[in-house]
Amino acid sequence: MSEVAMGDAAMTNLAMQQVATPSATHLLEAVGVTKKFGANVVIENLSIGFAPGMLHSILGPNGAGKTTLFNLLTRDLPVTAGEILLRGERITAMKPHQIARLGVGRSYQISSVYLDLSFLDNVWLAAYRARHGGRMGWWKRVGSYGEIRDQACEVLEKLGLIGFRDLPAKAVSYGDQRLLEIAVTLATNPDILLLDEPTAGLSQRETERVKRFIESIKQQYLIVMIEHKMNVVMEISDRVHVMNRGTLIASGTAAEISRDEAVHRAYFGL
Amino acid sequence: MLRTQSTVLIAASTVIIAALAPLVMPINIATEILIFGIFAMSTNLLIGVSGLYSFGQAAFFGVGGYVAGYCFVHTNLPLSAGLVLAMLGSALVAGLVGAFSIRRTGIYFMMLTFAFNQMIYYLAYSWRAVTGGEDGMGGIRRPALDMPLVGNIDLGNHLNFYMLAAALFVASSILLFRLARSPLGLVLDAAKQNPRRTASLGFSVYRAQWIAFVVAGAIAGLAGALFALLYRIMPIDAISWTSSGNVVFMVVIGGMSSVLGPVLGAAIFIWLQGFFSLIWARWPLLFGVFIILVVLFLRGGVAELFDRARQAFTRKTPTPAVQGGSHE
Amino acid sequence: MTSLIAAQLINGVAIGMLYALTAFGLSIIKGLLNVPNFAHGAFFAVGAYVCYAADRAGMPFAVSLLLAFLVPAVLGVLVERLGVSRLMNSPYLYQLLFLFGTALVMEQLIIIIWGSVGLSMSPPAFLEGAFDLGFTYLPRYLVFNGCMAALTIMAVYLLIERTRIGSQIRAGIDKREMAQCLGIDVGRLITAGFGLGSGLAGLSGGLVLPLLGANATMGADMMAIAFVVLVIGGLGSIYGAIAAGILVGVIQSVSTVFVPAASTVLIYVAMIVTLTIRPQGLFGER
Repeated sequence: MSEVAMGDAAMTNLAMQQVATPSATHLLEAVGVTKKFGANVVIENLSIGFAPGMLHSILGPNGAGKTTLFNLLTRDLPVTAGEILLRGERITAMKPHQIARLGVGRSYQISSVYLDLSFLDNVWLAAYRARHGGRMGWWKRVGSYGEIRDQACEVLEKLGLIGFRDLPAKAVSYGDQRLLEIAVTLATNPDILLLDEPTAGLSQRETERVKRFIESIKQQYLIVMIEHKMNVVMEISDRVHVMNRGTLIASGTAAEISRDEAVHRAYFGL
Repeated sequence: MLRTQSTVLIAASTVIIAALAPLVMPINIATEILIFGIFAMSTNLLIGVSGLYSFGQAAFFGVGGYVAGYCFVHTNLPLSAGLVLAMLGSALVAGLVGAFSIRRTGIYFMMLTFAFNQMIYYLAYSWRAVTGGEDGMGGIRRPALDMPLVGNIDLGNHLNFYMLAAALFVASSILLFRLARSPLGLVLDAAKQNPRRTASLGFSVYRAQWIAFVVAGAIAGLAGALFALLYRIMPIDAISWTSSGNVVFMVVIGGMSSVLGPVLGAAIFIWLQGFFSLIWARWPLLFGVFIILVVLFLRGGVAELFDRARQAFTRKTPTPAVQGGSHE
Repeated sequence: MTSLIAAQLINGVAIGMLYALTAFGLSIIKGLLNVPNFAHGAFFAVGAYVCYAADRAGMPFAVSLLLAFLVPAVLGVLVERLGVSRLMNSPYLYQLLFLFGTALVMEQLIIIIWGSVGLSMSPPAFLEGAFDLGFTYLPRYLVFNGCMAALTIMAVYLLIERTRIGSQIRAGIDKREMAQCLGIDVGRLITAGFGLGSGLAGLSGGLVLPLLGANATMGADMMAIAFVVLVIGGLGSIYGAIAAGILVGVIQSVSTVFVPAASTVLIYVAMIVTLTIRPQGLFGER
């Protein structure tokens, strides 16, 4: 094909493929992604990739755009420019529920458990979807799906929440609600876990508990975690990515990042 | 065990209500209460279960009534065919209205359902040839019901017609009850509390809500058809915004948290309508004042009163949808 | 043919300005209260009937119009104070039912006082007649109508954008709690906003009286059109309502040349088309 015949679209594709060369090793990635709210640019030309079998942490001062990045990855928000790739395929135009069905599980920074539903119902919903995909039964009672109930109980047990099984989520402490949120996300049987500040609002003991739990499941998923607590990040992360003002300023192992000058400048203004 | 009994419990409750009603009031009033009970329960699927505040359900009630009415005025279709067509017609219209309204949420949704209701009202008003316009559709016959084993049942007999309405009432209650307790119902409840989270779990919130909208529309259409058969005339008022507001009133005052609550609301409405029209021909004015007073002064009061009475009667304290334990 | 279309175009702009004015008022209320005001159409009707009554009583047209604004405005203030604000902490449905009940009561009162037969009023003598534009006639009253609506919208625009009270209203619409923290009496703002919005609807009603007359169902009809205008214009945009109102008026009027029976339905078709290709409305944000 002569160069004259290549249209803009073809050129862009080529350029994107070059940027996305590592897509063979990245399970989930954002390529040249920009997000604007009106005139406010929150994320600017960001490219970031997450290799599987590892726990990635995303660090950055407030307002760096971390949660917005998550929202773009799960399509809770549309990108202004750029692409999101899952297993090398473009998912930028998909809807959030479709992306979830492709194996992307997400927990939110602000607790989003169903407060009026019981612990079991909360997890049951996720387990049901994992098993039945898009189908929603309309005649059989929720209680009669024995297998799903058992699966849901299993997940609750893994997080030590089985005692709260029949309690409504609003009846327990915030810390236990955060754990429930993780349980629900796990019950969707994802390949990828996007955890947005899983230990926010938790006591030191609860944080330790969550940290150890996440560490224990590291091998089974690709986990991407937004975290502020340095000890959690440094102790269990395989890779750390640092964002500031909508761009990626550093990427590497925990040790490399702690020595990185750009990171120091971002955090301490030195 | 408790769960199995609940469907049976609902069935039993509805049968008992249906059996007792004609004993304490004129049979046609009882029929009307059952009809509006069906309408109100279907609306509650949207308002109570899904959190979709639709102010345009009268459109589907009306479409069902007009379709059935048309069948029984201009054709010789048997009863069942007319009823089925009425439900199909209202389901179709609900499907279209839902497709445009559900993509938007909250206030948008309320305004759109109202606007579509007005549009359909306007169409009914203008299409005089088919609907009779402002005068409504008159001369609706009540065909006999042909049942396989029992034979021909003359529905001109008020009691017979009541039993037909009662049977459909019981059936609708059971269907709506099962739906509310099903996975779809749980998804709707979840979407009501947090639509974004529900989508992030992998559910298509739009699809679930659209399905609920169509089902509610179809059952409203069934109620409309029965209404047309009851009075043998389909008035244009039945498809107006006031009618949509009335059914929301029934749902709110009867109680949204149980399947049968709206039936109580329907009974209250019918009773009020009768009571007020004895006082003054301009009874809607009194009804409007009543709504305002209830909402302002008894807010929570009436609903709470009924809530407690209801709980005592049906043991409908909020229980988890899924029960733990091995004795399911 | 062209003169017919031109005439209808002019008609359309005239009625469209009234749609815009009504929708503008509704938009203000919706912004402040976050509730679809189901009583808005009733205020429109009240305005029309009050104008009629004042005219019947021999008052000059200007006074009648002023009353068409004031009476619904005062009623709006009462409705908000006595009802809506009291229900702020109640379930949302109660507010909706309250507005529904209010609309019902007002509509019924109109029927009781004036009957359900349509009424009409001719414009005052100095506004009768038309300008001869050569290709069509331009009725004086339509010019007055358009100017009046435009001036009112401009006045409210200046009020909202350029005065301190206006900025408080905007703050109340955008960020209510923050406004409260800043010491702004949001309660009074909301009452004022509700009164203003209702007054605008009433003024529209007064202006429409010589154009289309008054009847018992005009409230509900206008309610639906106002909703349609808001949807087409974009819910978040107060000023989108104005452009959309004129557009809707023009569509409705011009289409009477080609498909007279379907002109009102076309408004809804326009809404459906907007929802399909640009769901956030012409001026709304995603």
